[in-house]
Amino acid sequence: MTAVAPTMERAQDAVVTRKVKQRRDWAKWGLATYFVIFLFFLYIPIILMAILSFQGPTGQLTWPFRGPVTLDWWKTLFDSNVINTVADDVRASGEQSLWLSLVAGGIVAVLGFSLSMAFRRRWRFKSDVVAFYVIMLALMTPAFLVGLGNQLLWKFMGQTPDLWKTALGANVIWGIPFSFLVMLAVWNRYDRHIEEAARDLGANAATTFREVTLPLVWTGVFGSFLFGFTLTWNDFDRTILLQNGYQAQPLPILIGTWPSSHPILPNLYALGAGTTAVSLFLIFMVLVAVTLRLRFRGAPVRRAAEEFGDTAGLTGAGGLTARAK
Amino acid sequence: MSSSSTPEPPASDATRVALQEVEEAEAILEQQPPQAERALGEAAARGGGGWVTAVLAAPGFLWIGFYLIAPLVVIILVSFWTRTDTGFSKVWTTANYGDLFHDSTYWHNMLTTFETSLIAVAACLVLGFPVAYFLALKVKSLRMQVALFIIALAPFWTSFLTRALAWTFPLMGTEGALNKSLQQLHVTSGPVSEFSYSLLSVRAAMVQLYILFMITPLFFSLSQVDRAALEAARDLGGNWWRTFREVILPQTMPGIVIGSIFIFVLTMGDYGTVATVGGGNITSVGTLIYSKTTAIEYPQGAASAILLVILLMIGVWVITRFSNLREEL
Amino acid sequence: MTAQGVEGVTQSEGAAAAAPSPSNDSGLDLVGLTKVFPGGTVAVDDVNLHVDHGEYVVLLGPSGCGKTTTLRMIGGHEYPTEGEIMLDGHSLVGLPPHKRPTTTVFQHFALFPHRSVLANVEFGLKMHGVAKEERRKQAFEALDMVGLTPLAERKPRALSGGQQQRVALARVLVTKPKALLLDEPLGDLDRLLQLRMRVELRNLQRQLGLMFIHVTHNQEEALSMADRIVVMNEARIQQIADPLTIATKPATELVARFMGDNNIIRGKVIERDGDRLIAEDEQHVRASVRAPGSAHAPGDPVMLAVRAAAVEVDTDGSAPAGLNSAECEIVFVEFLGDLVKLHLVTGGERMLAKVTAEHYPLLRGREGDTIRIAWKEEDVQLLDA
Repeated sequence: MTAVAPTMERAQDAVVTRKVKQRRDWAKWGLATYFVIFLFFLYIPIILMAILSFQGPTGQLTWPFRGPVTLDWWKTLFDSNVINTVADDVRASGEQSLWLSLVAGGIVAVLGFSLSMAFRRRWRFKSDVVAFYVIMLALMTPAFLVGLGNQLLWKFMGQTPDLWKTALGANVIWGIPFSFLVMLAVWNRYDRHIEEAARDLGANAATTFREVTLPLVWTGVFGSFLFGFTLTWNDFDRTILLQNGYQAQPLPILIGTWPSSHPILPNLYALGAGTTAVSLFLIFMVLVAVTLRLRFRGAPVRRAAEEFGDTAGLTGAGGLTARAK
Repeated sequence: MSSSSTPEPPASDATRVALQEVEEAEAILEQQPPQAERALGEAAARGGGGWVTAVLAAPGFLWIGFYLIAPLVVIILVSFWTRTDTGFSKVWTTANYGDLFHDSTYWHNMLTTFETSLIAVAACLVLGFPVAYFLALKVKSLRMQVALFIIALAPFWTSFLTRALAWTFPLMGTEGALNKSLQQLHVTSGPVSEFSYSLLSVRAAMVQLYILFMITPLFFSLSQVDRAALEAARDLGGNWWRTFREVILPQTMPGIVIGSIFIFVLTMGDYGTVATVGGGNITSVGTLIYSKTTAIEYPQGAASAILLVILLMIGVWVITRFSNLREEL
Repeated sequence: MTAQGVEGVTQSEGAAAAAPSPSNDSGLDLVGLTKVFPGGTVAVDDVNLHVDHGEYVVLLGPSGCGKTTTLRMIGGHEYPTEGEIMLDGHSLVGLPPHKRPTTTVFQHFALFPHRSVLANVEFGLKMHGVAKEERRKQAFEALDMVGLTPLAERKPRALSGGQQQRVALARVLVTKPKALLLDEPLGDLDRLLQLRMRVELRNLQRQLGLMFIHVTHNQEEALSMADRIVVMNEARIQQIADPLTIATKPATELVARFMGDNNIIRGKVIERDGDRLIAEDEQHVRASVRAPGSAHAPGDPVMLAVRAAAVEVDTDGSAPAGLNSAECEIVFVEFLGDLVKLHLVTGGERMLAKVTAEHYPLLRGREGDTIRIAWKEEDVQLLDA
């Protein structure tokens, strides 16, 4: 195929195609690669651990992967009739963790919500800055100190620490600042006038709260609950000093003190992988929920063009019924 | 255009007049007095909603008072009391602090932990910044941003202890994946024992475990950077480094400060990671306090804890000098 | 609801002009309304106003002048510190918003984002206990009236700004209020939409025959829509009058400046001749005005205003010098399609003249030239304060 060059009258009439180099691409793809590598290193320990949990009966703590791929070690977590079983401990700890986490989540949601509502109304005075820092203190105090302090506190009062009295309290402390910050962000996006409009139209304070405020902020409350739940589900440093000998340990403590109470076998990995799976599952549920919601969000259109296409005016269709004063 | 009587050229006169008009208009439109609209508040509207605020704030603050403030106060008290075999007795003494000050291993320990913290902060910053930058400034759709952010954040929501555990045998141990791969690739000839139960592995583990505390504030800071300002800087001829230093870095300082505070505080007070990944070999201030506590040396443990808190407060204060945080909040 | 003893109180209304019907028991009355915020900020200071049913009143002024606070007090979203608000003889002070026969349309519409358009409109009726069938019927009637029936099931975020505006209107109208309060209702719309909505909003009000009280900082909007304009500044009323009066006879300096396109002459009285008052400013521009009741004596400082549109331009310099004229240098000739704004300066003081577009060819490119401007005595206004 020969290209026939068009007869050109002037040099500047020639059509020149030039490859435009997209400068930004390199940075973006470079960073994206970095991001993927980053994710890899973030997840690799857990993945390795999970892989090792599927080993056969001769499986050991570390590589190489031994035996056929089985669920044997997973079974030892749940079935008390299997050899090497740890089911009783796991179940006890699992229940302990579950209940603690549920309650902690609930309390965190309630306290975070009420604290943020209090701040919303008053965020203009000096004392509030102090209060804000106190809340942030809960975030900054090393976990260990909170545990130690609570333990000493109970000793000071002459009582033995009970998980429900101490660990619950300490874990809620950790969760409150997260919940508070989440709720603050939610309130920021919230239009105060909506509540006034509701009041204008006849709703009293309780009805306004129920019909208008709550539906618009419930995601923040639910997020707070999730925070409280997962933080408690995973906590180690706070609870380690607060247990006594006769209550079941929460799962992380069980895992952390495993070497001193159980032979180290791949079922430890199964346990670790299992608890991680629960956490990840919750988070991915949140991910799905958030992305679904974001898909339906669109900025309202304000351009006149849209309006002009919509020809029915205020004084148009349907005729006007003069309303009596 | 001939100018008649005025000495100044017409052009500047026009500009001056125009500017004057604009100033006047602005002066009218933005009068100072009643900042009424800003003083509006529901409490003011209902003329006395103060007690509702108190009711809302009370439960939270009571809880914090009992489970956070009181324990800290008790720690302070106990650090000044005397040890007994079953706990402590309320006999005032400063011996606990005295012993600590003269205990060189304690200070050595403290120094090592401090070093670990600094390394952790620096590493998290350097390694985490590109991630935050990518998410905040390079990913276009909000949905993708949030999705990727959550994916990156998810491991944080798993038990960090489990991750620390996974760090030991499966990954870093002498039979672990890292060593095996290095041997496969003929980079090393035999297993490297320094990878596990060592200071190196503890520090590496900490970075992996805490880096998300740096990425999150950085992400939020970076997403507030004015992209128009970035483009303007590029327009004016700045190369990447200048733009970064002059435009991005200042606006990200609050995020950097917050992230550094988080990581500093968390790593200085860390117990679980050091205990798990370090085996029994590595000590930190956290493990020290723990061991004193389990040895029923409460006052000594408390004193160590208080010293730690003081150092933390100094550290945080130093870090906040880098940015006027209050304004940004 | 008890009627306070305000029968027969004669109300003084702001600074100058035009007070319609004296006090009777019909309409809205603001008496000595004052609002002081904790901390001492005086947001509203002694506001007196009477509004008839069916009137369209606009509260106009710069930000921070107190207009929004006044509106919120009428609507019940703020407590007055002093003063009285009466509607048809009944006091509103102390009544929470939902017990008042007024409803408010908010600046950003404040629609409930989690409810459909229909549910939004039904809300007020639901709060008043209207049965479901009847609720839907009335809601659809209201939607019909604003032309949004096909969009009843949509959520607010799927609507354009103008459509959201209409939903907000339907939502408040369905509760049949006695007065509608609008807080910068057109502020969130872009220009073309604003212009169109002005017309539609005003027409709606006419057909409904309802009292509308509308707050804005946009002078044009106020002039185009209001039956009466209340100009406010720094918590006080500056002037209450119909749009023509406000535009041609501003009473105070703020009104003159805020409405724009006014020439302000600040000077001293040099002569007093019966009703007539002659003043001269530093640039030796002399103007005369008829000021029957004024107490100004020669030597007193005084302020006068002349509308730019009332200024005539003498392009060939043939008019005589003297009273009510000035010699100026042209700084900028601004052509605006239908008219020409002539930016002038005399001795450092700015002046403005507005002439019709026909004059443009004679003026174009003449920046730097000196011309003479003149105006009639009857177009000069004496300003208070």
